[in-house]
Amino acid sequence: MGGQVVRALDNVDVEIEEGTFTVVMGPSGSGKSTLLYLLGGLDRATSGEISIEGERLDQMDENALALFRRRTMGFVFQSFNLIPSMDALENVGFPMQFAGTNAKQRKIRAQELLAQVGLENRADHRPSELSGGQQQRVAIARALVNAPKLILADEPTGNLDTSSGSAVMRVLSDLHKAGRTVLVVTHDPRMTHFATHRIYLLDGRVVGEAEYESAALEALQIE
Amino acid sequence: MKFFDLLRLVAGNLTRRKARVALTAVGVVIGTAAVVVLVSLASGLRQSASEQLYGIGDLTLIQVSPSYGGEGMYMGGGGAISSPSDVKLLTNSALEDFRAIPGVESVIPREYLMSSALIKFQKLEMYPNIIGIGTNDVADLGDTTDRGSTELGRGSIVIGVTVPQSFYDPNLRPGKEPPPPPDLFNQQVQMVVFKYDSEGHETRKNIALRVTGVLKETRGESDWAIYMPLEQVKLLNEWSQNRRFNYNKDGYSMAIVKVTDANQAMEVADQITAMGFQAYTPQSFLEGINNFFIILQVIFGGVGAIALLVAAIGIANTMAMSILERTREIGLMKAVGATNRDVLAIFLGEAAGIGFLGGLGGIAVGWLASQAINILASIYMANQAGQQGSGLPSVAAVIPLWLPVFALVFSTLVGMLSGLYPALRAATMVPVLALKYE
Repeated sequence: MGGQVVRALDNVDVEIEEGTFTVVMGPSGSGKSTLLYLLGGLDRATSGEISIEGERLDQMDENALALFRRRTMGFVFQSFNLIPSMDALENVGFPMQFAGTNAKQRKIRAQELLAQVGLENRADHRPSELSGGQQQRVAIARALVNAPKLILADEPTGNLDTSSGSAVMRVLSDLHKAGRTVLVVTHDPRMTHFATHRIYLLDGRVVGEAEYESAALEALQIE
Repeated sequence: MKFFDLLRLVAGNLTRRKARVALTAVGVVIGTAAVVVLVSLASGLRQSASEQLYGIGDLTLIQVSPSYGGEGMYMGGGGAISSPSDVKLLTNSALEDFRAIPGVESVIPREYLMSSALIKFQKLEMYPNIIGIGTNDVADLGDTTDRGSTELGRGSIVIGVTVPQSFYDPNLRPGKEPPPPPDLFNQQVQMVVFKYDSEGHETRKNIALRVTGVLKETRGESDWAIYMPLEQVKLLNEWSQNRRFNYNKDGYSMAIVKVTDANQAMEVADQITAMGFQAYTPQSFLEGINNFFIILQVIFGGVGAIALLVAAIGIANTMAMSILERTREIGLMKAVGATNRDVLAIFLGEAAGIGFLGGLGGIAVGWLASQAINILASIYMANQAGQQGSGLPSVAAVIPLWLPVFALVFSTLVGMLSGLYPALRAATMVPVLALKYE
């Protein structure tokens, strides 16, 4: 790329403990999304080690990674990624199809989870009939469907207005309180109120809060 | 992923883009319909051919002719000399050898009348096809009568059903209606046999004959034949040729070997061929006909398959487009734990589904088309039959049972194959790139 160094994360060294709510913050290009996708096994590192509960993701083949994701992780995306032809209930139950759960159990479980995110009366609505905040809550319910230990959210409030964003944050916080490990990548400073841990990233490096603040201030001054 | 869930998911995905799926399937419909129609036409041709050949004769009969050496009889290694021992004549002892073959029921020699003859009835006449047979019952050849008996005696003849149609009025004035075919049963007819000496002088011999039986239609040689006892034909031949015939030395010009079971006919014929004679069964002919039509079906099917090939490219294109549009969905499936195999199965299933739907439509269209062809053909045939007054085949296109099954399986496979490359691409996408695809 024009001789410039493209660095999608570089020298990161991060440890996340079970049961924490970690917020990863950093400017665009700091590598925070890449970190999330690496942890989720959706991307592969060219060097280094990634292990979750002692299992080395970087040594797994594609099939093992898919099974690992199914068992261990739930993803929440900025753009929700709901399937437009399915209603809320089907969207939530969708991942269980790959796990081979039968249709009846899928329905029961999906209804349960929709109730948990406060959308039990929206079960037969398609994504196009739901607000952004509702769509994101459906997506969170979907992330929970296989009872994952780790929830990975990539800018979950990025496409939402303030109040829907807050609702989504509360849902994520409730999950944390229920004992799950939550990792959220975000620009949204409000998210830090719910967090137990914060990671600041600059150019692929983990930095302290002070350094991060001063870099942010610098950026503001340049503008 | 459970198979039923896969089916439901595939069906759901196909109904998402109804117009596109339908348009793609139309290609398959055309291709499948072309295969169905062309193969059914070939099957129809085959069926009407075997209907017409049905009368080719009793499948238990083998015609055996003498061999006079020549082709295929050369001695290995040495010169191409046809020695007298290659000549195989149908002598009485040869006939005895045939009778000894297991499965042979009877062996009947037969002779043609070697001179020209005329049969007269009232003021009508005809040129007969006289066949002398070495039995006193035509039933031995597998024939049955419509009227009268199959038994032959001196001075009696049994005639084929279409023989009366050969009679004409030699004194018919131009423009006058030809007379209807006479009813010959139990009638006396006059046979005139001619012989010519070396200077061309004509001698005639008149014989009075009685028609004691009319055979049922076989659509074969016997429809036009007039059967006489062999002895009588032999006497007439000796008179017209001015020589004596010794069947122990010269042999008959033909023998009919009848086997008890039609399934043995080929085997017995092979044994007789191995003895050096020329044996012919209708079965070997039928086999040849069948092979010809199987080749015709394959060629016709191949022509239809070209249309399917074009449809296959359409499916590949539709699937490639669809996968491009649903890249993020593929990323999501992988994020929620779909393996590469799951993704492959879903997209292969969709491609196969398009093929399957097209196949169903194609069978329906092909079936309708062949019905239409049959209706048109029967109208045409009815006109023709009205003019000719004889039975013509009733169907032009026949859909054998295996054809729709084959067409459906084939169109589904075509769908699957053409979806293979796009589906493989979908399955091997890197999840993070698929999720970030705009």
